[in-house]
Amino acid sequence: MKTRRTLVAGALTAVGLLLTACGGGGSGDGGDGPVSLTFQSLSDQPAAIAATQKIVGDWNKAHPDVQVKIVQAGWDGVYDKLITQFNAGSAPDIVHYEAAGIAPFATDGFLADLTPYLSAEKRADIPKGVLDSVTVDGKVIAQPTELQSYVVFANKTQLQQAGVTIPTGASMTWDQLREIAKATTKDGKFGLGWGLSSPTAAFVALAPGFGGKYFEGTGTDAKLTAGPGEQALPQLVDAMAHQDHSILPVTLTQSGTKALAPFYAGQIAMTVQGSYQAANIAKDAPKGFDWVVLPPLAGSAGPAQAANPQTLSVNKDSAHVKEAAEFVDFFTSTENLAAINEADALIPPTTSARQALAAKLAGKNGWDAILASGEHLTSAPYLFAGKYAQWKDTVATPAYQQFLAQKIDAAGLAKQLEDGWKNVSK
Amino acid sequence: MRVLVRPAQYAALALYILFLGFPLLWLISASVKSSGELNSLTVSLLPGEWHWDNYTEALSKQGLVRSAANSLVVALASTALSVVIAVPAAYVLARLKGKVRAAGVGWILVSQVFPVVLIILPLFLILRTLGLADNLAGLTLVHTTYMLPFALWMLQGYVAAIPVELEEAGAMDGASRLTVLRTIVFPLLAPGVVATAMFSFVSSWNEFFFALVLLQSPENYTLPITLTMFVGGEGKVALGPLAAGAVLAAIPSIVFFGILRKKLTSGLMAGAVKG
Repeated sequence: MKTRRTLVAGALTAVGLLLTACGGGGSGDGGDGPVSLTFQSLSDQPAAIAATQKIVGDWNKAHPDVQVKIVQAGWDGVYDKLITQFNAGSAPDIVHYEAAGIAPFATDGFLADLTPYLSAEKRADIPKGVLDSVTVDGKVIAQPTELQSYVVFANKTQLQQAGVTIPTGASMTWDQLREIAKATTKDGKFGLGWGLSSPTAAFVALAPGFGGKYFEGTGTDAKLTAGPGEQALPQLVDAMAHQDHSILPVTLTQSGTKALAPFYAGQIAMTVQGSYQAANIAKDAPKGFDWVVLPPLAGSAGPAQAANPQTLSVNKDSAHVKEAAEFVDFFTSTENLAAINEADALIPPTTSARQALAAKLAGKNGWDAILASGEHLTSAPYLFAGKYAQWKDTVATPAYQQFLAQKIDAAGLAKQLEDGWKNVSK
Repeated sequence: MRVLVRPAQYAALALYILFLGFPLLWLISASVKSSGELNSLTVSLLPGEWHWDNYTEALSKQGLVRSAANSLVVALASTALSVVIAVPAAYVLARLKGKVRAAGVGWILVSQVFPVVLIILPLFLILRTLGLADNLAGLTLVHTTYMLPFALWMLQGYVAAIPVELEEAGAMDGASRLTVLRTIVFPLLAPGVVATAMFSFVSSWNEFFFALVLLQSPENYTLPITLTMFVGGEGKVALGPLAAGAVLAAIPSIVFFGILRKKLTSGLMAGAVKG
C-alpha cells in the first residue's frame, strides 16, 4: 500500500506539473451569498461522526456568513484521493488527515500556513513535541486534533494470581514489564501478546523512550541511524520472545487487533496496543473480565513516544483561507477536542482538553493512564523524512520480521535498516 | 465398483460447492456475530448469539442503499455501453486481416499496460472540464473506457471461434450480410456476449480507485467507496457492520448473475444447434 503511495505520488506529481495550466485553482464561491467551505472529514466511528456534525452545526449556527459543509470520506485510499485533488486544484478547503500523511503535501506547497491564525494561548496549550509534528519549515501546516499512544492493557486477575504487584504511578519501566511478563508466563499461558506483523510504526514511535530518533534532517536529506537507542526495543522484544519465552509467539506475526483475542481468552496476561483499543476492550471483553491500563512505559530516556496526530489543514488554494483557518481554530477549542476525542477514544492534543476529559471521565476504562501517556508524546522526526513510507514497507518491516524470527542478528538488522534507507532515498 | 462412481461424483461436487461457498457462508456468519464473538479465539460457523444490529448499523451508516443504487446504475450502464461498442468492434477485429487489425490488437494490448495512477489526473481534469467529474455519468464513461479493451479482447476470441464457413454458407444460400449476422453470428456469439457482460458488470461493480478519486460528493459514492467507511484510521475495522454491508452488496451481483445465467445457457444451446 505504501509502495503504491510512492508510485502514486511520483506519477501524479509529474503529471500534475505538466497539467498545471489546466488546473482550476481553489475552491469556494464567488457569489455575494455566505462563504461556503468544504470540510473533508474522515471520522469513522458513529459517535465521532455525530460529534463532528455537532461541531460543524454549532459553527454554522454561530457564523451564518461562513457555512461549512461536511464531505464524508474514508481513511482507505485517502492519500490517493488527496494527491489527485491537490494536483488537480480541487481539494476541499479543510482537510482531515494525519501528520505523517499531510507533511508531504505541506512540502509540496499545497497547504496554507496556519501560523498567523494560531493564538499564543492555543500555541501554549499544545505540547511542543506535538506542535513540532505539524510544523514544516517553520510553518504550522495543521492543527492537531487527536492522538494515540501505545499502552499496556493487563488482565488484573492474572497479574494478581501470579503475585504481581500491579504497577501504579506516573510511569513503569520496560524492565518492569519484562519482569511481569516472566512472572505471568506459566501453565501454558504467556505474559505478553504484541501484534507485531508490521512492527515499524510501534518501534519508531516508542524509540524516543530509549533516546532513539532514527532520522536527522528532513525530506531527501534526512539521515537514518540505527544505533543503540533505535535498537533497544527490538532487542528487548527479541529477548522476551526467545530468551524469556514470555511473548505468545503467534502474536509476533499478527496485527495488533488480532492479539486481543488471546487477551480476552486469558491466554496472555498483557498486550501492548494503541490506546484507542480501550473502547474496543470495554465493548468486546467477556463479562467479568477485569482489565486495567498500566502506567506509561518508560525506557532509559523516559516515557516519551513519537506523536503522529490526526490533523486539520487548510488548502492553500482555497478562496477563503482565513475563514477556513478560523473554523479549524473553532474545531480545536478545548470543549470540541474533548468531545471528539471522547467519541473516538483518543487523546486530545491540547493540555486543556486533556484536563477537561480527565475531569469528566475520572479514570473510567483506563482513561487516566491513557491520558497520562499523552503527556509524554514528543516530536516524531520520521514524519519529515521524505521516503519514510517507502522505507517502512520495503526495508524496515521485512528487516524487523527477519530479526524477530532470528534470521538476522542486531548488526544485520542495523545494516539492513541503514543501507535500505540509503537506497530508497537516493 | 461402478456403483460407487455416481455417489463419488456427487460427493466431489458437494465438496467443490462447499469450497466455493465457504467464504460466503463465513461472511454471512460474521455479519450476524457480535463484536465480542468476532474478536474471540473461539471459531464457529454458527454464531453463539444472532446479532442483527450489524445490518441495522450497515444500513443506517453512510447511505449504503443509496451507494448500492449508484453502483447499480453505473454498472448496468457501463456494461450496456461496453457490450454495444464491443460486439461490432470485436467482429471487425476478428474477421479483418492485415495491418489495421494488427494495429488494433496492438493498441488493445498497449492500453492495458498503463497503470491507472498515470491516467487518473488527466482523466480527472478532462472530466472536470466537461462537467463530468463527481458525476455518475462521468464514472460510467470511465468504467466503459477502462473495461472496453478487455471486453473487446474477450469477444473477438468468441467471434474467431465461429467458423467463417458458416457465414459463407449463409451467403451462398442468398442471405444478406445483415441476415447472416443476425441469424448465424449473433446467436452463436450470445454466450460470449453474456460472459462479457458478466465480466463488465463485476468489474464496474467492484471498481474502487476511479470512483475514489473522481467522486467527491458522498451522495454520488458507489458501494466500494462506502464500504471502506467501515475501515477506520489506526487499523480500526467495524468487522460486523462491514460483513453485513458486504453481504448486502453481494445481492445485486447474485441477482444479475442469476438472470444472465439463463441467457448464457440458452445461448450455448443456440450455438450447439447452429454449429
